[in-house]
Amino acid sequence: MADEQKPGGSEAPLPAGGEAAGRPAKPSPPKPAAAPPKPPATMAATPWESDLARELKERFGSQIGETSTYLGQNFIVARPEAAIPILEYLKLEADFDYLVDITAVDWPKRPERFDLVYIVYSFHRNQRVRIKTQIPDGYKPETAVGVHLTANWLEREVFDMFGIEFAGHPDMRRILMPEEWQGHPLRKDYSILQQDQRWVQESLGIESGQ
Amino acid sequence: MSWGKLFRKIFLVDLFQGLSVTFRYQEPKYIVTEQYPAERPRVAERYRGAPRLNNNPENGETLCIACNLCALACPENLIVVGAERNEQTRRKELTTFTYDLSRCMFCGLCEDACPVDALELTQDFELASYTREGLIWDRQMLEEGPRPTQYKC
Amino acid sequence: MPDPTFLDSTELVLNMGPQHPSTHGVLRVILKLDGERILGTDCVIGYLHRGVEKIAENRTYAQFNPYVDRMDYVASVSNGLGYCLAVEKLLNVEAPPRAQAVRVILTELNRIASHLVWLGTHALDIGAITPVFYCFREREEALNIFEKYCGARLTTHAFRIGGLQYETYDGFEQDVKAFCDMFPPKVDEYEELLTGNRIWVGRLTNVGVLTADECKEYGVTGPLLRAAGVKWDLRKAQPYSGYDKYDFEIPTRQNGDTYDRYIVRMQEMRQAVRIIRQAVESIPEGPIMGKVPKVIKPPVGEAYVSIEAPKGELGYYVVSDGSTQPYRVRVRPPSFVNLQALDRMVRGALVADICAVIGTLDIVLGEVDR
Repeated sequence: MADEQKPGGSEAPLPAGGEAAGRPAKPSPPKPAAAPPKPPATMAATPWESDLARELKERFGSQIGETSTYLGQNFIVARPEAAIPILEYLKLEADFDYLVDITAVDWPKRPERFDLVYIVYSFHRNQRVRIKTQIPDGYKPETAVGVHLTANWLEREVFDMFGIEFAGHPDMRRILMPEEWQGHPLRKDYSILQQDQRWVQESLGIESGQ
Repeated sequence: MSWGKLFRKIFLVDLFQGLSVTFRYQEPKYIVTEQYPAERPRVAERYRGAPRLNNNPENGETLCIACNLCALACPENLIVVGAERNEQTRRKELTTFTYDLSRCMFCGLCEDACPVDALELTQDFELASYTREGLIWDRQMLEEGPRPTQYKC
Repeated sequence: MPDPTFLDSTELVLNMGPQHPSTHGVLRVILKLDGERILGTDCVIGYLHRGVEKIAENRTYAQFNPYVDRMDYVASVSNGLGYCLAVEKLLNVEAPPRAQAVRVILTELNRIASHLVWLGTHALDIGAITPVFYCFREREEALNIFEKYCGARLTTHAFRIGGLQYETYDGFEQDVKAFCDMFPPKVDEYEELLTGNRIWVGRLTNVGVLTADECKEYGVTGPLLRAAGVKWDLRKAQPYSGYDKYDFEIPTRQNGDTYDRYIVRMQEMRQAVRIIRQAVESIPEGPIMGKVPKVIKPPVGEAYVSIEAPKGELGYYVVSDGSTQPYRVRVRPPSFVNLQALDRMVRGALVADICAVIGTLDIVLGEVDR
């Protein structure tokens, strides 16, 4: 994992083309350490022009950061409070009635640490849209169970793996890890060999699992 | 009950009809049981089994050039290649080669990575050992291959 | 969690534990019963959680390929296909046509193999002991083809990022054609055993009904959605790997009960044979590996690619930060999302139906837990 590369997010709209034209910029002259640090590579996303994007922008205005497309896949970046209203709008008015996935990505160097991603699909339009929101550690987003019942176990898994609690979820407890486990495995500061020593010793009766 | 039915009931005709199907299937051409240890199953040519370090058939030297590509390709990092530089030919020569078979998942990435076809996954699948250490193979075991005890039956 | 019971209530909390012959793996279902009627269920999963997504962050793209086979271990070729397609999308390369044709053949063979396991174990759970032997006998033929092609029967690691590693072996087309000729009469044999069977029909109709709206609410995909009447298949809706070249149908039924799912999966096996026949007659010549660099370093970005696995929509969401190791790989497992609907499907049913419903969901715990 490269330390010097930071992904683009809710910052200024990405320059179309420019140096982020599909690969991290490799300056050609031999670069000693004294050269100015190259700007972090960002995703080469281009703006997404379509009716749906326009309707979303009209309806939600400033709560939507950017609507872009990368490699033919459309996504929008929204503010955390707007995620559930956007999901509702998409389900009721735009026919996106199938929630494919809810997941999160951990970017520990950012102040908004987690990238919460909802992927929805419309049978009628045969289209998928990703809704990304950026939330800091400790923020409790609202649950999507009211909109899509699929979100029940998907949010439980996000809580289990990342520690993001969802406010209003009917059954917020760990799903894959044991109930009394401490720690959230998919966070970047949880190393791959780390275990909850206390749980291993109490429940399995051995010193360590390694 | 009619005479026919009574006959079938007393002389168990239906039972023998069923049994005749069973006994017909005893013919050797229907039997697919492999009598394992006597006859070993034939596995495919590309089967990913025990690793082997190949030697050059002419002079018996190892084909491995100690490039370490197999160790880099392994997802489990279980290959350790020891090499020393030969000053006359200015090439690296293989000294030790350790392969930890207990963690190997036989994915074949090391075999794909080897540029000289020195490391190869053969068709040996009888790899059991009595100890955990017995599964960590050094260069000699890798070149000879496992020697499972042949059972006489 | 069901409430603790008191001695004067008729409710019983029964644990269908992780070790159980009918749960297809280590699945624990806590049943709240009233006599024989099920009032509620609670699934406890995670017994086979191996942290595959965490492992992905510590391996390179090519090194992670063998790990994805081990999630849905019954149908490992499709997992590999999904992952390779996702990374190829990030790299913006496409596998050459010959590689795509061979991929289709192997994936459809793998679909047949997975449905054979489903049929055998489902029938076994209901009580029909014969079909499992027949199904596994046919599965041997398909696994023999996998073994001759890539060297392993179950965790195949058949595909590489950008195409294929191995050329097809001599006799590949003959073997596949022989399989296609041998297989449809066997499907007729299974149908003869089960489809009109009074016990089978009686045990499966109106059990575990999931209507189309409920399927969409719960995010259920795959044969369960098609049995409920929604004619949707990712191979037709968003074709990948050359599926738009082949002519096949999507079997659908109306009621959405267990019997309909059985019929849908039997028809899918027949359609898979049809696809394989078309594909093997028209494998183009050419290279088997696309233009992929030695060291795979996709540009910064992310992609979500999903395929129609035998169990439903299997999706891979790969986030890359420009280095040789993926930053995040999220696997959207169809069995995990389908298993959520278990509660809705068995409300009010009898205890004996729970085995039928778990069987018809076709879950593989390796995929549920990852």
